[in-house]
Amino acid sequence: MDTLASLREAAREHCVTVFVVDDGSEPAIDLATLPASGESFHVVLARHVTNLGQGAALETARQLAVARGFDAYVTMDSDGQHSATDALALAQEILLGADVVFGNRFLGDSNVPRARALLLFGARWFERVLTGLPLADAHNGLRAFSARAVQHIVIQQNRMAHATEIKVRVAGAPSLEIVERPVSVRYSTSTLAKGQSAFGAARIIRDLALQYLFGEAS
Amino acid sequence: MTIGAFILLAFVLGIVAYDWVSLRGKNRRAVLLEMAAFLVGALFIAFPDRATALAHAVGIGRGVDFLMYPIVIWLVRESLMTRRRRLEYDEKLTSVVRALALVQAKAGEVEVTPAANAQGSSLAPRQSAGPSAS
Repeated sequence: MDTLASLREAAREHCVTVFVVDDGSEPAIDLATLPASGESFHVVLARHVTNLGQGAALETARQLAVARGFDAYVTMDSDGQHSATDALALAQEILLGADVVFGNRFLGDSNVPRARALLLFGARWFERVLTGLPLADAHNGLRAFSARAVQHIVIQQNRMAHATEIKVRVAGAPSLEIVERPVSVRYSTSTLAKGQSAFGAARIIRDLALQYLFGEAS
Repeated sequence: MTIGAFILLAFVLGIVAYDWVSLRGKNRRAVLLEMAAFLVGALFIAFPDRATALAHAVGIGRGVDFLMYPIVIWLVRESLMTRRRRLEYDEKLTSVVRALALVQAKAGEVEVTPAANAQGSSLAPRQSAGPSAS
């Protein structure tokens, strides 16, 4: 809810709709606990009746956004790691003409633990080999897309492999202008507990392999 | 019969007995199929010379290889097909859960943004942010 409040505060000069996806949490998020919508700030709550994963939640939000229309679509985590100011700055890049903006935590004011940085170094090279995109960060949930780009980002990976899948789809889409922008990612004990581990990285590779072997041809 | 053969036969019997008991009151046809398959396996364990003679007859060196080759091939295929089916079920579940979420979200919009709806003002904002909660 802090993330929503800060988005509302930072978005005073913009018209913003926030799509909150409750991914089967217990107890469910109560509509009454969300900040009230105003003239230029709207909150749309969608609830998965069972937990599917972050990738599935992002795809649900994407479909809601596509149905409404927008100039810039930003994804961010709701656990306080990402700042509303960065989210709006990424949206601004889209309004200036970029199609896809990836956040780069290593250029921003981030407190990345050493073990996490090492894991991300491996992930970065894995994604570079897979996509050919020369990006300096990997699995950063703070990203922005133009309306044109978002049409190409259909997420089929329900769990954490969606971050790599998004880059694969961006790399495969025709002539998108892709940029990286410094963002701040603040780690706390709770966000680290929920974040990726080496075991999680192995699961991501497994999910990508299964999708490659058995998923719908795309 | 060797001690090893006895241990293996006891293991096979134990598995079948466990499956039979644990499925009490449920459909046990799969256990019957399992029994038939394990009976063939038990014969190969109990009479290895006969198994080897049978293997030689079809050009395979040992009796155990005669069993192992098709079993490994079948298990690899079954493993891959099971994963495919699980992925397909996951995709179907995701579609259903998402469809429900989208319908409920559209209904919820009316409650969350009564002012916007009453004024007929834009529900298509210039910027959108989509945080995810889990």
